[in-house]
Amino acid sequence: MSLAAPTVVSAHGIGGRQDLPIPLEQAILGAVLALVVSFVVLILTTRLHQAEAAEEPVGQPAETRPRQWRPRWVVLLDPIVSSTAWSVALRTVGLLIFAYCVMTALIGRDTANNPLFGIFYIWWWVGLVPFSLLFGPAWKAISPVRAINEALTALRGGSGEPMYRYPERLGCWPAVVGLMAFAWMELVYPNNNFLGPVRLWCAIYVAVMLVGGQLYGSRFYERCDPFEVYSSLVAKLSVWGRDDEGRLVVRTPLGNLDTLRPMPGLVAVVCVLFGTIVFDSFRDSTPWIKLKQDGPFISTHAHMPYVLDNVAVVAFPLAVAVFYCVGTMLTGVDHVRRRQLPAHLAPSIVPIIVGYVFAHYLSYFWEAGQATLRQASDPLSDGSDWFGTSGLQVNYFFAYHATLLANIKVIAVVIGHVLGVWSAHIRALQVLPRKHLVTGQIPLLVTMIGFTIGGLYLLFAS
Amino acid sequence: MRRSVRASLKSFAIVATLLGVVGLVTACGSSDDNPSSGASGPKVIDVTFKGDSVTPSGDIITVARGQKVEFEVTADTAGEIHVHSDPAKEYEYKAGTTHISVGSFNVPGRIEVESHALEKTICILEIK
Repeated sequence: MSLAAPTVVSAHGIGGRQDLPIPLEQAILGAVLALVVSFVVLILTTRLHQAEAAEEPVGQPAETRPRQWRPRWVVLLDPIVSSTAWSVALRTVGLLIFAYCVMTALIGRDTANNPLFGIFYIWWWVGLVPFSLLFGPAWKAISPVRAINEALTALRGGSGEPMYRYPERLGCWPAVVGLMAFAWMELVYPNNNFLGPVRLWCAIYVAVMLVGGQLYGSRFYERCDPFEVYSSLVAKLSVWGRDDEGRLVVRTPLGNLDTLRPMPGLVAVVCVLFGTIVFDSFRDSTPWIKLKQDGPFISTHAHMPYVLDNVAVVAFPLAVAVFYCVGTMLTGVDHVRRRQLPAHLAPSIVPIIVGYVFAHYLSYFWEAGQATLRQASDPLSDGSDWFGTSGLQVNYFFAYHATLLANIKVIAVVIGHVLGVWSAHIRALQVLPRKHLVTGQIPLLVTMIGFTIGGLYLLFAS
Repeated sequence: MRRSVRASLKSFAIVATLLGVVGLVTACGSSDDNPSSGASGPKVIDVTFKGDSVTPSGDIITVARGQKVEFEVTADTAGEIHVHSDPAKEYEYKAGTTHISVGSFNVPGRIEVESHALEKTICILEIK
């Protein structure tokens, strides 16, 4: 028998601590509340609507303008945020962060202390959601690839007209590929915590974005930049909007969400986002770990766990898509084409995604985000302190307030769910025949409740 | 104006329901924020490495905050285990029996203990 000496290693990997699972009672309570509230919202709003609705819906989302306001402070804010100086300032911030990241990627050390990992997986991917929710399309505003593209176009002496028109039938399908590539990198690829692969991923992203931007203009970013598509989707739940004349207005989050129009690939985008986040919860659960380590056949074939992860990262979004499409297409209709329903109702998944992102990433974003801020001050791991944050102690507030955290998680999932049902309901009122309003929405409601209970189960189990 | 009254009624009903939900969930949360201080002896976890397999395998092991954790490793070949706390720690073990003391943990949460050579999760420490 011998004693082993501990060695503190600067191993690869971000964020050690994971949250405790939420208590069973809270998960059940959340699920029951989601169920009850859904039915109350459905029946109450449908009754009120039936009393006030005049004509039969036409089977298409209404073209009516959402309710929006332009109070005095918005009128004052508009010239500032619409000014060239403002957008140049934001672009400059984006370019500075970009230059900083290029530096850490090229001359930073390949250890867990390199801030690039935290910036890539936490600030960028997770931080995108709260920023877009608060400020609107945040990535579009600071996107360095947009800035470089504009500079390149100006240097070429181009007229601003792109070389080709973006093929609209592709919709946002290219972004689906990008989102899957990110999810694979984050959740499946075993060497995702080494500098080389992260650098390569980012290099390919930047290259594709710059070539695409030169060929198809800024439309390319709206449709194909996975981060811009994600950010702008979440921004539809913010209060910020622009009216027909391009003036800044404020809307209710659901009113804003209702301005999201169906396009090819939209259903795939929401299913990939939701499915991969759910897989992120599931892959840490003991049954999955046990299956990968001790499962028959799997444990005797060295590559099987990796194969299994690859299958799962595709299977989860697919399962979400099948469940969602069946649920929406079973919704009662006469003259509406069933195949259009998933796209019409796709906005309703957005609040569910946001609620689940909050539940799943809140404490991680808080803790690993701070750790990244600490590392960012010493980007080259040479003991320097660029921003004065290298001595920052990570604050474990949520870890010490486990009950509060569990409550926030349940509330986030339930609120996301309720807004999802409500949003689906707003669309249903626009597209469904009136006689089917209540019964027609039952399959949709069951789908939504399925998502919520599934989400709560995973937060409870893993 | 009837329309706008109905609209406000609708919004009011939904907002009220939402607030009710938030209140209920918050009220029902039990308060278990106090650190459990009554940790008696150290938690001893037996780990056995045999070929490509390890026992335990991904099991959740509950540990009290402040309780010492020790691993009693029995292995056929030498190797190392990684404790994914913050900061991460690494311990070497030899063929035969090795006693590893990893100290205690104060931040509640889950910490994975892995063998990187086998690419396997040995256990998950649940610090409560």
